[in-house]
Amino acid sequence: MKRRDFLKGALYGTGGTMIALGGFGTLTKLDPKKAAAAEQDALSTVFSTCEMCTSRCTVALKVKNGKVVKAEGHPNDTSTGGSICARGNAAPSLLYDPERIKKPMIRTGERGDGKFKEVSWDEAYSYITEKLKNVQKQYGGEALAVTSRVNPNDIFFRSLARAMGSPNMFSHEATCPMTRTVALEATFGNPYIGADYGNAKYIITNGRNFFEGIHVPMVKGVMKSISNGGKLVVLDPRFSVTAAKGEWVPIKGATDLAFIMAMANVMISENLYDKEFIAQYSVGFDKWVEAVKDKTPAWAEQETGIPKDKIVQITRDFAKAKPNCLLEYGWRTPWTGNDYQLRRAIMIVNMMMGNWEVPGGYFRKKGAALLKPYPELQQYAKSLGGGMVQPAFPKPVKGRIDGTGVKGTPGQVIPVPDGAVGQIPESILTGKPYPIKAWMVYRFNPVISMPESERVIEAIKKLDLMVTCDVYMTDAAYYSDVVLPECTYMERYDPMIDNTGLTPKFQIRQPAVSVVYPDTKPAWQIFKELGEKMGYGQYFPFKDMEEYLTKQLAAAGLTLAEMKEKGFWVPPGMKPFFMRGKDPKAPAPTATADQKIQIFSEELEEATKQGIPEYKHYPQPENGKFRFIQGKVAVHTNAGTHNVPVLNELMPTNTLWINSVSAGKLGIKEGDSIIISAGKYEHKGIAKVTEGIRPDSVFTYHGFGRISPKMTRAYGKGINDNKLIPNELGEIGNVVSSTTFVTVRKA
Amino acid sequence: MVQETRGELYLSFAGIWQRPRREIADHLEEIIELWSEEIEIPPETVAVLSAFCQRYPAGEERLNALWAEYIPLFETGAVEAPPYASVYLDKGRQVLGAETRAVQAFYASTGYGMGNDKQELSDHLAVELEFLALLARDGEETSGETFRQKHLLPFLQAILPRIKGSRRPVYAQAAEILDNWQLKSYERG
Ligand code: SF4
Repeated sequence: MKRRDFLKGALYGTGGTMIALGGFGTLTKLDPKKAAAAEQDALSTVFSTCEMCTSRCTVALKVKNGKVVKAEGHPNDTSTGGSICARGNAAPSLLYDPERIKKPMIRTGERGDGKFKEVSWDEAYSYITEKLKNVQKQYGGEALAVTSRVNPNDIFFRSLARAMGSPNMFSHEATCPMTRTVALEATFGNPYIGADYGNAKYIITNGRNFFEGIHVPMVKGVMKSISNGGKLVVLDPRFSVTAAKGEWVPIKGATDLAFIMAMANVMISENLYDKEFIAQYSVGFDKWVEAVKDKTPAWAEQETGIPKDKIVQITRDFAKAKPNCLLEYGWRTPWTGNDYQLRRAIMIVNMMMGNWEVPGGYFRKKGAALLKPYPELQQYAKSLGGGMVQPAFPKPVKGRIDGTGVKGTPGQVIPVPDGAVGQIPESILTGKPYPIKAWMVYRFNPVISMPESERVIEAIKKLDLMVTCDVYMTDAAYYSDVVLPECTYMERYDPMIDNTGLTPKFQIRQPAVSVVYPDTKPAWQIFKELGEKMGYGQYFPFKDMEEYLTKQLAAAGLTLAEMKEKGFWVPPGMKPFFMRGKDPKAPAPTATADQKIQIFSEELEEATKQGIPEYKHYPQPENGKFRFIQGKVAVHTNAGTHNVPVLNELMPTNTLWINSVSAGKLGIKEGDSIIISAGKYEHKGIAKVTEGIRPDSVFTYHGFGRISPKMTRAYGKGINDNKLIPNELGEIGNVVSSTTFVTVRKA
Repeated sequence: MVQETRGELYLSFAGIWQRPRREIADHLEEIIELWSEEIEIPPETVAVLSAFCQRYPAGEERLNALWAEYIPLFETGAVEAPPYASVYLDKGRQVLGAETRAVQAFYASTGYGMGNDKQELSDHLAVELEFLALLARDGEETSGETFRQKHLLPFLQAILPRIKGSRRPVYAQAAEILDNWQLKSYERG
């Protein structure tokens, strides 16, 4: 082509023909009527389900001129009282953030150089397909691992692994509440157990920090309890916001099980528990009596640092409130190697209070199957159907890398949908039990969410393929070969969200606006298209999400139009249902084979030889060292929101909380630059000197100190807790967050 | 400056600020030549661009070299100079602000709208320049000048210093040249 012919050709058409549009075709001639209609866009409301964290609050998105101008709580939802938290409010700031990923990208430089090119979706799919097929040929389909933050699109994401013959599907839960899940499954047969905070008269929480690890309906419940005169006791080495709302009991880290066992000891020796309840509804109590007989308050004082009289007083007062009292079962729970036994013991003490299926107690989530046997409730017993029928997947040739499902080993009790995600870097690095060669992560950022960030990066660098699907160039994306841009929840449908509690509750997630960045896509579409490219189209037998949702809803006799209009569905007229609400002797079966509460768990006995919780003493930090603990903050979600503009503005960085006396000994003052050392790894930080923490512990908020320079607001700001914590696997495959000791010095 | 040349210049800059693609990358020499002939630019600026073309001959390698500059500058993560007008001209540094809407309304008033594939936001620098190229071609001088004064120039005043200050040779030089043409010597041209 001759000089300037290219531009001339583009503008005027080549060969002398004038083309209608010209230029690069980005703009088009407009239908004048459509243009006028677009101009008159009034304020409208679109009901949906928030995804700024996983709590799934219903929301009302206010849309004006094709733009989400505000996110509010759903005015008709009594569980949230129509409110949402700061993160939920910040959704539009994420939606219109110029830092989001806008196109699929393929790495062009070395891993960690940050050099990428943008490609078409087809190129991205072809690239992934070729790499995965190579991995499959060389190492078998099981060499692919997939990990996501639990969400409604998992079914599509996991279908890719299943179709390839991989059993290695993981959620993030081993880094969060998995020990609680294991305890609930062992005790009640499934983990779908809720707590009725609002009607509780006494709440004790071991570290659960309602007012910073926010779940709006739960926060509302605890607030209702407090404002009705309920008592709140907070056992935590740190004075959290929740501690500020109740009585703070600064327990030594990693000793909570001692406190709980001592409570049981007092309840038994002082006859404070509900004997009739235990006899009617549970099995194995005698073994618990035996297990706690020497766990006296005096013994627990030595372990926990809490005076024995305090333990006795709390226990007596708590028991007085039975059955409307809650010993909180925890949220982010992987504190120690045997944390699942702490969660078990917590639930056993709860059951000693008979707080099962009564207001102010624990309850099974009331799905259709539970309601059906009750004639007066049958009318409410609706359940969602599947959106598609998939053919059978090939049977994996090998077992999972983490031993999940293997009878007679701890793997027997690891929840199959979750697995032990901490095993992935180990398998990549050691090749045991066999190597993982490809890792796909969706809305999961192993570099920040899993312990030992540098080891995770080292593992990623050894992979044949790393794929990240997310909204930002996260730390994991930064080290990936392919990055797939998902659109935000405000721009897409997802499969139906079942948020059943004391009544069935179904919620929709629907687009409020069309995609802001035109080449981003909903996850279901990404995985469906990738599956089709890989030759697995048969596992994605649906046209689009509207069709999928219509099928899901039809099973419950509901329509998509109705859901779109209302946002959520609860059975009209149904009151919260507790099986023992009217009659304390009424049947209240669990989901176990004998329908009883398993105080002694045969399953755990078989899997871990600990059918009844046993106390394990964990060392306390010696002089000069500190227990390193971490937690959530109200304006951020785990590792997810630190780069969202307004949330970053609210809290751009974290500090290290250190007790004023301990800091004084080290010559550290408020605001000083410090070095935190965990031996192998060190981290810089800023000191927050406070009386609000035990002298033997230091604390930091999780999710900061980001490694990806492409998250400019969060990059390098603050302390990445997981840089300092070693990747240790607990007894049932959980990560271990609270047994690391550190030293602190001035920088 | 004749209307045809103005159209070509606008389109050349539109091509440069678009996401890198072979069609544009392979014609970089032609674009540089056009700029050298039509805009007053110091020889060292041209030299940097020519050196780039020599180092990366037309083809895949050149395209990847452009991506290496484009992504951190405009696209993902660090985003040294977000290419959307509303990020600069509205409160809140977000996309799809009032300016986006104003620009869209302007396009509509001249009978244009975003293409059906909607591959870009309407206030992307490349789109605004492409729009001006089309107006120049259509002979819509008054509309072109109004859009330029009201929308393009405030945007350029905000974004060009950032691109010039970046360490991305191709785009920094292109910004220098666009600055020379639009902000410094347009009247003379
Ligand atoms: S708790 Fe906050 S961020 Fe989480 S779903 Fe509810 S409103 Fe959204």
